[in-house]
Amino acid sequence: MLARVTQSKTIHWLGRQLSNQDNPESWLDPVLAKINPMWVQAYTPARVEQVIQETADTRTFVLRPARRWTGFRAGQHVNICTEIDGVRRNRTFSLSSSPLLWETQGLVTLTIKRLPGGLVTNWLHDRVVPGQVIGLGEAFGEFLIPEPAQPVLFIAGGSGITPVVSQLETMAAQDYPAPVTLLYFVRTHRDVIAGEKLRALASRHSTLTVQVIATNESEEPRFLRGEDLDGIANLKSREVYLCGPKGLMDLAGDLLHQRGVTDDRIHSTFFAPPAPAQLEGTELGGQVTFANSDVQVGSKGDANLLEIAEAAGLTPQYGCRMGICHQCSCRKTSGTVINRLTGQVSGAGEENVQLCISVPRGPVSVDV
Amino acid sequence: MKKLNETQLQELEQDLNAIRDEVLADLGERDARYIRRIIRLHRTLEIGGRVMMPFGFIPPVFLAATASLGVAKILENMEIGHNVMHGQYDWMNDPNLHSQTYEWDTVCTADSWRRTHNYEHHTYTNVIGKDRDYGYAVLRLSDEDEWKPWHSLQFINYILLSVLFQWGVGLHELESEKLRRREIRWRDKLPFLKDFARKGGRQAFKDYVFFPLLTLPVAPIVLAGNIGANLIRNLWSSTVIFCGHFTQDAETFSEAECEGESKGHWYLRQLTGSSNFTGGRWLHILSGHLSYQVEHHVFPDLPAHRYPEISEKVQAVCLKHGIPYNTGSFARQYGTVLNQIFRYSLPDRVRTRLEGRSAPQAI
Ligand code: FES
Repeated sequence: MLARVTQSKTIHWLGRQLSNQDNPESWLDPVLAKINPMWVQAYTPARVEQVIQETADTRTFVLRPARRWTGFRAGQHVNICTEIDGVRRNRTFSLSSSPLLWETQGLVTLTIKRLPGGLVTNWLHDRVVPGQVIGLGEAFGEFLIPEPAQPVLFIAGGSGITPVVSQLETMAAQDYPAPVTLLYFVRTHRDVIAGEKLRALASRHSTLTVQVIATNESEEPRFLRGEDLDGIANLKSREVYLCGPKGLMDLAGDLLHQRGVTDDRIHSTFFAPPAPAQLEGTELGGQVTFANSDVQVGSKGDANLLEIAEAAGLTPQYGCRMGICHQCSCRKTSGTVINRLTGQVSGAGEENVQLCISVPRGPVSVDV
Repeated sequence: MKKLNETQLQELEQDLNAIRDEVLADLGERDARYIRRIIRLHRTLEIGGRVMMPFGFIPPVFLAATASLGVAKILENMEIGHNVMHGQYDWMNDPNLHSQTYEWDTVCTADSWRRTHNYEHHTYTNVIGKDRDYGYAVLRLSDEDEWKPWHSLQFINYILLSVLFQWGVGLHELESEKLRRREIRWRDKLPFLKDFARKGGRQAFKDYVFFPLLTLPVAPIVLAGNIGANLIRNLWSSTVIFCGHFTQDAETFSEAECEGESKGHWYLRQLTGSSNFTGGRWLHILSGHLSYQVEHHVFPDLPAHRYPEISEKVQAVCLKHGIPYNTGSFARQYGTVLNQIFRYSLPDRVRTRLEGRSAPQAI
C-alpha cells in the first residue's frame, strides 16, 4: 500500500521534507521489519517457501515475493539482499523458474550452488530455512529468448544452467516453433542441476534436444569440441546463448567464430564465480574505472584509490586522508580492494569504501 | 600538552590501534541490532509526539507530546545522525545508515556538517585558529584568544547560542568571523547559503508550518509544542557538546605544535583535548555517547555504544603513558564549562587578579 502512495510525486516530495530521507518509504522499515518483515519497503521482501536439494552442492530456493514485485522475463537476474552478521550483502543470481510460475502462483525460484569460500552462497545453504524473508531487487538483464522465434543453441556449464532452465520452460510453455539445442557441461553426472526437468521437457517437446556432457568422468577432461557444434543443424542461423564458467565461454566463442557464427548472434551472460578472497594477496593495483567521470586508469603497487583518482585529474571529496573522517567514502560497484589499515580484502560486489585507504586488487570500478 | 618523544608516541599509537582493531574485528550483529533498536525507539517517539501534539490542549498531554518529540530529536541528532555521519555504521552497507548519504533532523545540512565537524573539528581538535568548533567563533575560552570588550557579554552570547543552537550549527560554515574581517567574500559563500536556506526552510516548514496547518483548529498548540521540542533538543545538545571540549582541564593547542604531526601525536591531542562526563546508561545514550568524548575523538568511526566497553582500556593506556584522562560527573564538568565562559569574559588583568595569580607571560 505504502509503495502505491509514494508513487505520487507530491507525496514523495512531502515525505522527503518530513523524513529528511531521499527514500521516505523506508523511513519506518526498522519498525516494520520487527512487526512483519514482509512489510519492509526498501526492497521487495520475499518469503522462503521451500528449499529443494538439487545436487550435493546446489539448492533451489522457492520464494514468494511481496505482490508489488514487478516480475521478470526468462533469462533475467535479480539482486538479492541479505543481512549476515549485521552486514547487508547484495548478490546477483539468475532466476531459474519460468515467469509463468510467478504469474500463476506468485512464486519464483533461485537455484544456487555453494561456492568454496563463498560468504553468501554458504550462508544461504546453511542458514536459510522456510519461513525466513530475504530481499529482492527488480529483475534485470538482456539474456532473453529471441523474438520472433528462431533456432537456438544454448551452451551452459555447471550452475550456468539456471537462466537456461527458465528459458527452456518458458519456450516449452509457448510451444516454441523453432528447433532448440542445449549442450550442458557438468563435471560429473551427479552434478546435473534440474536433470529431471530437462528430461521431461525434452521428451515432451520434439523440437528440443538436450545433450549432457560430463567433463571429468574420463581420464582426459572432455571439454567442448568442434564436433559438438558440427553436429548441430544449420548452426550459422542459430541464436547462440552462452552461460557458464569463463573457460567454457571463451572456448565456445572461439569455436563458434571459426564456424562463421557472428558476434551479433552470440549472447552471453557472465556467470563465473569470483575467486575466493585470499588474505595474503600481494598483487596490488589494477585497472580502475571511475564510472561517474568516465575515466579509466591503470594503477600499480599500493597506491590508494584517492591518489589514483587525483593522479588522473579527478577531485573526489576527501578530508583527513588517513581514514578518520569518511569524507572520501563512496560506492564501489565491482572489483576487490584491500583496506590499507586493516589489511582486509573486500568482497567483489557493491559496497561503500573509503578511497584514501583502499588499494585496488585487480580491476575495480567506483562511482566517482 | 604532555610531551612524549617519538618512540613513546609510536607506542601510544600501537596501543590505541590495538584497541581499535579488537573492536573492528568484533563488529557485527550486536551493533546492527543496537542501532536499529535506537532507530525504532526514535520512530516511535517521533510518531507518538506528532500524534499526541494536537491533543495538547490537555496540559499533561502537551508535556508528554513535547517531551516525546524533543527526546526523539535528541536521539536522532546525537545517537543516530551524528554517529552515522561519522561512518560508524558504514560497514553495515545499509544505504539508510551510510555516512555520505545520511541527512539528519536539524537545520545544518549533512554535507556542511561533514566538512566542518568530521573534517575540520576532528582533524584539528582544539587547535586554536584551525578548529572553529572551539568556542564556535563566538566565545572566548582560552588565553590564546585576545580579550575584546564585547567578550564581556559572552554569557549572553552563550545563552543565545544554546537556545538557537541548531541555527548556529547550521550557519557555522558561513565563517561569519572571516566575513567580518573581510578575509572572504559573501560571494564565495553563496553555494553554502543556498544549501543552508533549503535545509533550514525544510526544517522550519515541517515543524512550524506543515504540522500546525495539518491540525488547524489547534495550530497554536502544535506550533508551541514543536518549538518546545526544538528548544529541548537545542539546549541539551549544546550542553553536551560544550562539556566535550570546553571544560577546565581540556587542553588547547597552537598551530605550530601540530605542524606535520604523526598519528601518535594526533592521538595524544585527541586524548588531552577532550573531556568525558559520567552518568547512567540513558544519559550516555541521549548524549549520543559524547559523554565518552575522549573515546569518540580517538575512535570517531567506531560505533559509539562501544565506548563504555573500551573506556577502561583507554584509561589504562592513558595511565601507562602518564596522560591525564579528563572525566567527572555531568554537574561538575558542566560547572567548569560555565566557569570558563565566565572567566574568559573578563579582561586578563581582572581575571588574574580575581584568581590571585600572576598574569600569563606574553609570548
Ligand atoms: S579522507 Fe578522511 S577518511 Fe578518507
